[in-house]
Parts: sequence; structure tokens; C-alpha cells
Amino acid sequence: MKSQERISFYNQISGNKIKSFFLIIIIFAVLIALSYVIGLIYSQYFFIILIFGIIISILYVLISYYNSDKIALASVNAREVSYNEARQLHNSVEGLCLASGLPKPRIYVMPGEQINAFASGRNPEHSVVCVTEGALKKLSKQELEGVIAHELSHIANYDIRFMTLAAVMVGMIAIISQIFLRSMWFSSGRDRDKNNAVLIIIGIVLAILAPIVVQLVQLTISRKREYAADASSVKFTRSPTGLISALRKIRGDKTELKVSGALAPLFMSDIKRRDLSELFATHPSIEKRIEILERM
Amino acid sequence: MVILGLVLWMWIVIVVIAILLFMLIYYFNKFVILSNRIDNSLAQIDVQLKKRADLVPNLVEAVKGYMKHERGVFSDIAKARAAMLSAPDLAGRVKAGNELQNALKSIFALSERYPKLKANENFLQLQQELSAIEDKVAYSRQYYNDNLLSYNTSCTTFPGNLFAGIFGRNVKPYLEIPLEEKAVPKVSF
Repeated sequence: MKSQERISFYNQISGNKIKSFFLIIIIFAVLIALSYVIGLIYSQYFFIILIFGIIISILYVLISYYNSDKIALASVNAREVSYNEARQLHNSVEGLCLASGLPKPRIYVMPGEQINAFASGRNPEHSVVCVTEGALKKLSKQELEGVIAHELSHIANYDIRFMTLAAVMVGMIAIISQIFLRSMWFSSGRDRDKNNAVLIIIGIVLAILAPIVVQLVQLTISRKREYAADASSVKFTRSPTGLISALRKIRGDKTELKVSGALAPLFMSDIKRRDLSELFATHPSIEKRIEILERM
Repeated sequence: MVILGLVLWMWIVIVVIAILLFMLIYYFNKFVILSNRIDNSLAQIDVQLKKRADLVPNLVEAVKGYMKHERGVFSDIAKARAAMLSAPDLAGRVKAGNELQNALKSIFALSERYPKLKANENFLQLQQELSAIEDKVAYSRQYYNDNLLSYNTSCTTFPGNLFAGIFGRNVKPYLEIPLEEKAVPKVSF
């Protein structure tokens, strides 16, 4: 056990935000470094391909960014619930919106026995909150409020926008690396000279390592945002007990959600039982989250 | 050298002015946004109290048929509701609203004795609604506290205090709003 001092949710929120800001700077720096080295090796024609690749990837991301909520909701078969269908849920969301100053998001319920939830939408005005049927059935009012507050925190912290930005840069690095490595494969020795040999080796090493490194950084950012959302949830509900007890129930829940793995980072907690190490996970382990919440 | 020095000085002055201008705008907006939020959270408390008062006649209507012998409670409710609607300021409305809520709670406590009423869908919905309103008043109050705290903090800490002086912003007093009573009210049987 590390230090057991109390932590304030204000420090927890701002600390995690600062950390994720610096992490995104790291990704940006890798992007610049990679482009610079490749720029030293090649002349213009490479950039034409590169620019095409980047434009296409940006378009792709922008489209999914503007439709993030619709895509996510459609792929999990979520349906919007009216006030009369789910009064408790609506009242909890309305109350927490008053506590956080957010406009009321649209509320969806998705099939599935697992206790889980996600939020989506590019800004608070276009946000949605979706909970599973399992969460509605298995969680008490206080636990459900802890979970909803966690999701509203993602909306309030603009996490969807932030993670999209990270994804764009990580995607760009992957594309640049791929194009570079493939061009190395096909080009013969004619346009290389000896001065370039060292640079080319640096370029290849960078192109192989950069995508892996930035992806790990991206996952670290995602975990920091989860901690920040947990802390904001405590700020909105003024008590960690609901979220802690919900997380305990989630830990004890043996069911899995049948949704595409691509949606996994969106959710409140892992959709499958965890079998990877922390390093490769989008979420911190439930044990760690509970431990930090208990100290607030 | 002299010319170079002059250009350098010009740049420094420009940068400093730009930073100052930026901070001026930033703090101006910050004060406006925070005081809007403060006003809005108080307005929200009012909205919830109004909703509570609006629901009361429905509740009385739903309950009256079952509780014929509890006239005292109904007159308490009517009194508290009238007091709430006529209170001149927010603190008064909140206080009367609390009394109203307490009177309503005695209805809910009494309802335990009427199994038929407890099974009435309409009654259950109203009960849930009124307890949600109680939560919402508490959450609005919390949002008010949060924003008042950050408003007053930016008014008193450096460099916010300088800008607060420029814009004529002062520390806002904490509004004494009577707390919603969370305790179960005493009901004499």
C-alpha cells in the first residue's frame, strides 16, 4: 500500500487533466519527430502520398466524430427511453445535471445483463448517456447516480473530444509509419546514398516504434481520464459511496457484453473479463479505482 | 544598436499588452459566467419549489379519497403551500418549501396505514416525483455553493483580485438558504 493520505477530488481532477495534457504533447512531439526524420530522407513525392493519407484519415475521423453518438448507439441497439418509461433514471440524470451545470443529455437504454454505461456526443449540447438494462436492474438509486455522474463527467470534461484528438494523432502516426515502411520495401537503392544510410535506419526504427509508443500513451491518457471522471463523479454526488458500491457490483458481475471490441473504450468498465495487463487496458483496474475513491 | 534595442522594446511592450488584454478578457468573461451560473442555480431552486407546489393539489386529490380522517395534515399542507407561494424572497420560499415537504412526508408516513393507497399507481408516481424534487433542490444548492466558492476565490486571489477591482466585482455573500431537512419527520398518531 502506498500513502494513505486523503485526496481531494479537486486535486484529483486537475492532476489527471494536467497529466493527460502532457501526454498528448508527447504524442504530438512524436508526430513531429517522425515527420521530420522522414522529411530528411525523402523529397517531395513522398509528401504528396503523405498528405493524401492524412487528409483521408482526418475526414474519416471528423465524420465519426460528428456522428460518434449515433454510431455508438446504433451498434449497441440502444433505444431512447422517455420520462414515463424510466422515471428513476430520468430524475437521477436531471438532478446530476443540476449539480454539474450540464444540459440534460438524451437518455438511452441498451440490452445486456452486464452493469455498464457509456456517454457519447461531441459536446454537452449533443450528448447522450446510455446504460444497460442490467445496470437499471441491479443497481440501487445511489449506485446508479454514481455511475451516471461518472458518465456526465466524461461529458463535462470534453473527454470525447479529447480522446478523438488523441486518436487522430495516433492514427496519423500509424499511417505515416506504414507509408514510410512500405516505400522502403519497394524503392531500390537508386535514390539512396551513403549519407542517408544512418538516417534511414533511424527512420525505420522510429516508424516501427512510434506507433506502439503513442498507442501506449493514448491508453495511459484514457486511464487518466477515467480517474478524473471518477473524481468528478464524487464532486457531483458529494459522496464516493454510490460509485464504490457500483464498482464492487461490477467486479462481482460475471456477465459479458456482446458488443464490438471497438466500442470498449467508451464504456464505464471493461466489457469482457480482463485478461490483459494494465499497460494495454483502456481502463484502470476496478481495484485501483475503488482504492482511490475510498481515500476521497 | 539603438535601433535594435528600440525594436526589441517595442516587441516586449506589444507582448505585454497582448497578455494583459488577454487576461482582461479572460477575467471579464470568468466573472460574468460564474455570476450567471450563481443566478441560474438559485433560479433552479425556485423552479423546483414551484414544481413541488404544483404537484401538491394532485397529491391531495389522489390521497383525499383514502385518508378521510386525516384533516389536520391536509390543512397543514394547504397552509405551507400558501406560505410558499406568498413568500417574498428565495430564503422564505425555501423555508416554506421545507415545511411543505415535511407536511407531505407525514402524508407518506400515514400512507403506510392505507394499503390500498400504497398500491395506487398515481400515488406512487407522485411520491417518487416529490422525492426527486427534493434531490434536485439539494443538487441546485450544491451547484450554487460550488460556483459561489470559485467566484469568491477568483475575486480574492491574485491576479483575479486586481481584475475584480477593475470590473467592480465584489465577493458575494453566502445566501443563507435553510437546508432541506433530510430527517424523517415526526408524525403523531
